[in-house]
Amino acid sequence: MQLHMGIFCRCHLLTIVLCGSNVANAEELLPADAEIANVIDHYVQQLLVTSGVAAVEPADDLTLLRRTSLDLAGRVPTSVERDWFMNQPPSDRRRLLVDRLMQSPDFDFHQRNWLDETLLPNQPYNDEFRNYLLTAVQGRRSWDTVFREIMKAEVSEGQDKGAGQFLKSRVRELDDLTNDTAILFFGVNISCAKCHDHPLVTDWKQDHFFGMQAFFQRTYQTRKTSTLAERPFGEVKFANVRGESKTAAFMFLTGEVVADRTPQLADEERKQLEERVRKLEHDDAEAEILVPEFRPRDELVELALHDTNERFFARNIVNRIWARLLGTGLVNPPDQMHSGNAPSHPQLLEWLTSDMVSHGYDLRRLIQGIVLSEAYGRSSAWTSESEPPAASTFASAQTRPLTPRQLGASLHLVIGNPEHWPAIEDTEEWTKRRTDFENQANGWVREFEQPGENFQIAVDEALFFSNSGRVQDDLLRDSEDSLLGQLKKIEDPSKGIEKLWLEVLNRLPHPDEIASATAWLDRVPDKKDESRKQLLWAILAGPEFRFNH
Amino acid sequence: MSRISLSGICIPAHHAVSRRAFLSDGAMRAASAVTVAGCFASDMGQIHALRSEEVAGELRRQDKRVILLWLAGGASQFETWDPKPGAKTGGPFRAIQTNATGVSISELLPELAQRMQHTAIIRSLNTKIADHGGGADLMETGRLKDPGILYPDLGAVVARELGRLESRVPDYVSLYTSTEGRRKGTSGFLGARYAPMFLSESMIPPNIARLETVSEIDHHDRAALRDAVGRRFAASRRSHTVDSQNSAYQRVNGLMASAELFDITQEPTEVQARYGPTQFGHQCLIARRLIEAGVPFVKVARAWWDSHGQNFETHQELCADLDHSMSVLLDDLEQRGLLKNTLVITLGEFGRTPQINSSLGRDHFASAWSCSLSGLGIRGGVAYGKTDPEGHTVVEGEASAADLFATILSALKIDHKHEYTVGARPVPLADFGSKPIAEVLS
Repeated sequence: MQLHMGIFCRCHLLTIVLCGSNVANAEELLPADAEIANVIDHYVQQLLVTSGVAAVEPADDLTLLRRTSLDLAGRVPTSVERDWFMNQPPSDRRRLLVDRLMQSPDFDFHQRNWLDETLLPNQPYNDEFRNYLLTAVQGRRSWDTVFREIMKAEVSEGQDKGAGQFLKSRVRELDDLTNDTAILFFGVNISCAKCHDHPLVTDWKQDHFFGMQAFFQRTYQTRKTSTLAERPFGEVKFANVRGESKTAAFMFLTGEVVADRTPQLADEERKQLEERVRKLEHDDAEAEILVPEFRPRDELVELALHDTNERFFARNIVNRIWARLLGTGLVNPPDQMHSGNAPSHPQLLEWLTSDMVSHGYDLRRLIQGIVLSEAYGRSSAWTSESEPPAASTFASAQTRPLTPRQLGASLHLVIGNPEHWPAIEDTEEWTKRRTDFENQANGWVREFEQPGENFQIAVDEALFFSNSGRVQDDLLRDSEDSLLGQLKKIEDPSKGIEKLWLEVLNRLPHPDEIASATAWLDRVPDKKDESRKQLLWAILAGPEFRFNH
Repeated sequence: MSRISLSGICIPAHHAVSRRAFLSDGAMRAASAVTVAGCFASDMGQIHALRSEEVAGELRRQDKRVILLWLAGGASQFETWDPKPGAKTGGPFRAIQTNATGVSISELLPELAQRMQHTAIIRSLNTKIADHGGGADLMETGRLKDPGILYPDLGAVVARELGRLESRVPDYVSLYTSTEGRRKGTSGFLGARYAPMFLSESMIPPNIARLETVSEIDHHDRAALRDAVGRRFAASRRSHTVDSQNSAYQRVNGLMASAELFDITQEPTEVQARYGPTQFGHQCLIARRLIEAGVPFVKVARAWWDSHGQNFETHQELCADLDHSMSVLLDDLEQRGLLKNTLVITLGEFGRTPQINSSLGRDHFASAWSCSLSGLGIRGGVAYGKTDPEGHTVVEGEASAADLFATILSALKIDHKHEYTVGARPVPLADFGSKPIAEVLS
């Protein structure tokens, strides 16, 4: 039993209400069979026109190649991919690129990494969970399937066992289970409704917070086998602001309730069960798991995916994928989906939500639609003196910091010998190489911070790049297997500089950059190799490499 | 080697010509219109920026600083600030009269007893949370952990409120070289700019010294080269995150220069000798060096006070270290004229039980315990609040973690009610409903 007192209030005047009151009328939406990219551009353009904002130019092809590769493959493109891309007919390049990347092993790694960073942000090395997610992504499991598997956590063998890590890592903190589930799967932060009913909105009660908590209150981990289990009884009690004690119903965010079907037990029977559960929780001896008839987490899954309740679940994932690819959510921040915080493009969010539901929670479908849109393909540069338009207009692309794994994989990719990439059709060899990159990136995750809201790059990162032996020895090596090793062999200095820019920044240098870099390399004539190392360092440590733009 | 200064970066003269050729290139210079500092001149509502120059100016002139002596594991109030000699919960040690009238503390702190003119004791903390993780979360941030939001700890808040944009020294240094209960500290929603420089493996921060394989010249020059190469890109992006990368790199040289602050052998041997041979003493000396150089917040964690067994032997040893090191620190700060600008705090995650268990230990206890505040903004010689004769409950002046934070911020003349806005949510510097303890403030 949990008794919560309303004495530690840490929030006020935060509007948290159910989404839905200002939802666009379904009749006004574009037809359901329209192309996703067209629907996106229709609604984005509509807002640009009504707000009198002009969209910036589309990004050039090489910029788009880099951006799309980072977003779909989790790394910058290789020289082989660049050549392939530039050899495709211009009118069809983008679609061919997206198709290719989405079929590559890279997509699965990156999609797994994103899910992992989203769902277990504080545990970058939880291999059980990471392996489960990779299996799920490679198996093209739908998002609702993944949700079921994570919430039910019933598999105790094989890769799918790792699904339980979402709950296991939070099982000691009932509040974390409650809030993180609401935030990450439903886009709603209900922690403010813990201490009191909402002061401004009459339908948002403590009942909703504790109603969500009720689904997790019986969850525990067994001592001997570390298996997730549920007690056959138990309830959440809480005190309201008047000090009255209440028992929480099994209530979803919409207010819909599941009847408590816990079997009534005779005192003696209940005592025996309690003793068994106690042993399971605390004794090394007890191993046989008790599976109750009424399992609240199963009930939550069914309720959350039932009828209109489903909108929370669908809207949340649409908004999170949108934010990942465009830098800003349609609702921002993504855990504040409520009527006091309206979407920038309500009809678009509605259309995409309906599409998500009607196409069986196929995340790949939405990702593909977004990256093929014009909104995604705009330049991120803003050269005008005037203030740039708000990010939520999507008039230009956002400059987004790379995640630790994107950065780690990209660093290792660009410093390698560019002549050694397998041919574009040799997918078997590429899969091996990509797996190596994934492992190498893993070793660098701790050196960089995971980007979040209002992200800032820490001075620790600048110190690491400036003074770490790993950077000097691994990234700036000029052995035969490295980019620098190859550049040493190029006689014509401007050719060498062009290659350096192309391999690292995925673009040709401007004439002034060639002139400047030449001057740099000439500064101490007998130390060209050393100067080239420092030139590579200056580019790797610079903003153009650090960001997805 | 003769050097000339170019763009604020010191470079060897014989490189200057080619360097200038590189850096003065037309396009790259033209692109430098957007300065990092310009982008950071901030609006108070934006938590990702430092305080604007005008607002920060007043605080900066006052050069306020904080040293937090963190008693990790939870020190016993009975054996430190709130002795109960003769009570059945009191343990074997006596209380001694301090140089402040009517204030007695444990005989285990004889040197501090002679320096009470600087110190106010708070004996009436009731913070309720008595497990290490939860207690540390609460006492580091002044509020209960909340899954919806990551709160910054005291060091990060002070770093943000008192730190300087152009600072050449770190804003927040955290020293913790014991493995027990090691915690990094967190800047939470304030972002990585205010994260602590954390020393856990050695007494020197990681990556602060130049590699021998990179010459000093190359190290300096390539930093300028990095700026030049990235300028065109950065100039066409209006992004605080892009700016934060540049400002991080701009701080590298200053921080590297501050490496010597961590080297106590640069102190006269007589000063080193005064601080004594313990690691805690060394760290207190480092803290003084950092404070003197303008670092606004230094945390020195001393472990491990978690005396479930042999409480009295444990406290004999740890209190001797605390008593001596903190006394020398207070003297040193005072002699250098720094104590009037520096607040020294002793605090941990909780206190210890009145009951003495069968292993002669005391267990976790958060219902009636003590901390101390010395120096800046503090009315010395005060013992605030009261526990019952056996130390089970607070009977006078009950204070929460939030009240303590409001008091600390008030001593620093920072408005504890000022609110950050996180998402849609207002977050005051000290939690809602907190009240500074006026009796301990000067």
